[in-house]
Amino acid sequence: MNPIINMFKPTVTEDFICKDEEFEQLGIKLKKKMDVIFGRSMAIRAVDAGSDNAPEIELVNLTTPHYDIERFGITFVASPRHADTLMVTGAVTLNMAQAVRKVYEATPSPKLVIALGDDACSGGIFLGSYAVLGGVDKILPVDLKIPGNPPTPHDIMRGLLALMEKLQQQ
Amino acid sequence: MNGLKEEAIAVFGRSGLEEQHHDELHVHLSNEEFLKRIRTVAEKGFLLADLFAVEESARAKAKKQTLVYVFEKRGYPDLLVLHVTFHKKATSIAPLFPSACWYEREIADGFGILFDSAYDKRRLFLHEVYPVGFHPLQKSWKNKCLSLPKTAVSLEDYPFKEVKGEGVYCVPVGPVHAGIIEPGHFRFSVIGETMFNLEVRMFWKHRGIEKMAEGKQPSWAVNLAEAVSGDETVANAWAYCRAVEKIAGLKIPARAEYLRMVFAEMERIYALLGDLAGMIMDVAYAAGASPFFILREEMLRWNAKLSGSRFFKNNVVVGGVVSDVGQNLLEDLGQYLHHFSSRCRDALNHSLNYPTVLDRLDSTGIVKKELVIPLHLSGPMARASGVATDVRLDHPYGYYAKIPPHEKIKEQGDVLARFKIKAASIEDSVRIIQQIIADIPAGVVYTEAKVKDGAAFSQVESCRGQNVHYVQMEQGVITRYKIRTASFCNWSAIEHAVLDNIIPDFPLINKSMNLSYAGTDL
Repeated sequence: MNPIINMFKPTVTEDFICKDEEFEQLGIKLKKKMDVIFGRSMAIRAVDAGSDNAPEIELVNLTTPHYDIERFGITFVASPRHADTLMVTGAVTLNMAQAVRKVYEATPSPKLVIALGDDACSGGIFLGSYAVLGGVDKILPVDLKIPGNPPTPHDIMRGLLALMEKLQQQ
Repeated sequence: MNGLKEEAIAVFGRSGLEEQHHDELHVHLSNEEFLKRIRTVAEKGFLLADLFAVEESARAKAKKQTLVYVFEKRGYPDLLVLHVTFHKKATSIAPLFPSACWYEREIADGFGILFDSAYDKRRLFLHEVYPVGFHPLQKSWKNKCLSLPKTAVSLEDYPFKEVKGEGVYCVPVGPVHAGIIEPGHFRFSVIGETMFNLEVRMFWKHRGIEKMAEGKQPSWAVNLAEAVSGDETVANAWAYCRAVEKIAGLKIPARAEYLRMVFAEMERIYALLGDLAGMIMDVAYAAGASPFFILREEMLRWNAKLSGSRFFKNNVVVGGVVSDVGQNLLEDLGQYLHHFSSRCRDALNHSLNYPTVLDRLDSTGIVKKELVIPLHLSGPMARASGVATDVRLDHPYGYYAKIPPHEKIKEQGDVLARFKIKAASIEDSVRIIQQIIADIPAGVVYTEAKVKDGAAFSQVESCRGQNVHYVQMEQGVITRYKIRTASFCNWSAIEHAVLDNIIPDFPLINKSMNLSYAGTDL
């Protein structure tokens, strides 16, 4: 009986009410633009080049119930082969540089690169260390920088929106 | 510190013992004397809490390197610190203290010190991209940017342990993984689906934090401590500041100390909620994981309300905290936490009454109790394997002596035990915060610190266990900063815990420990 009842009245799950109007509006705007530019959805591959793990926590947060970014057509994919966009976090360490290059090469063109967080944008406080090369733009062409220590989910959404506007202008 | 002092006198004699900062007992030894006594140190139940090298400043004519062995013993709040000088070569103590293996490799990389009879002499944090003979922590080498070698290096340039035999095959994974996680390389040797051996290769995120700190003002390096590991921001900033405050002989205002405790416990709650959610997610029960993710997001929003940062970045400073939190806001937090507890309990009951969850968590990835001491495991991992250890109880700091944690112990050591221990720890942190809100005195939250020269150790219990910081200052700037996070030691446990488990359970076992890659790689 349950499946039939569920068809008319959901009983196994409940609504999650989250009053984050600002985020909803950002999401809806982003979705509209993405519908045009990417044909409805964009696949992102997150790559950690040497972050302090806080940006990763915020990226995971974007997929959890409060934000549920997939509603707006953004998915985090498991392979660079499936990605439209690379989201790179952290100052690029010497130890990771080659692996990050390989991820970029494995991503099919056309592709975009986003540097996420202060360290990824410019090297942050690690600039000048023997162990880091600097920001992501030292090894990859970067299309957008989203600063923050770490950037909040809202910052990331605003960044993505700015990227769409930039692409639209091109 | 009478208890520890008597134990130390029994081993080293009365002369040469030197007390510092009321909770550190220092002994200076030559390598020969050290080797004569180290076996007794091990037999007396001392535990190796930290091991690193220091080098006298470049101005000194001869490059003088000293090894610093830091021991603790359960039941005593103090540390026993051995300063060992050696001629040309040091001697490995890994046969007596297996956790020394990584430390010695780290020292060999950083300082070029060779360890006689070490069973593993491979490089640790310097991967193949670094030139041979490069030792960044030597004082004569000034920090500067390096460039990548002209020729590409291969993962296979590193001599991994070879596992051979009929039906054994190798599954190399990483450093880049399929999920949104940090980089690390895992090399599984498998027979069918069963893991026969695992070798972990870390340090992909090595950012050179210790060298970065050298020559810097103590106030600047707080941000460096925060960047050790994002979800241990408060823990590491607090440990760093305590070390600097200890050197300066500074007592920070009571309200600041209590606020640091609130921040640290909030951090523990959101980090451990992420672990619980991750474990349930890794057994593919998204509906069960969602309530934990929802609660974690609410905690992060509370963090922002209290401090302006979802991760408490730029809040703890030398001398106190940046800004006060209003009493009304603290009381609102208390109200919220009351509801939080019951919702968290509901979420736990929901997941733990679900057969699939129990089936996957129970008896998976067992960390044996016998491993806890040799590998110096700490935090929830040690407590889930039957060992009562918590820096807040063993080496009380802040006002934890007044509001002690009620830590729970489990004997099984499997993923389920770690899940339950972490859940209990969340509940306990809520109780601690409630108690602080009731007790916290009014007053200032910052006092100007007059920085002095000297050196000091400090420890904190982060969400993953024992973090040890050592700060040394000369002429108002840092000359040596050593950080040892719980993850650095705890990582070695995973190589043992996965054995005889199937490879699809690896992500779950890994998540149940949720160790910090950044905190290990530094």
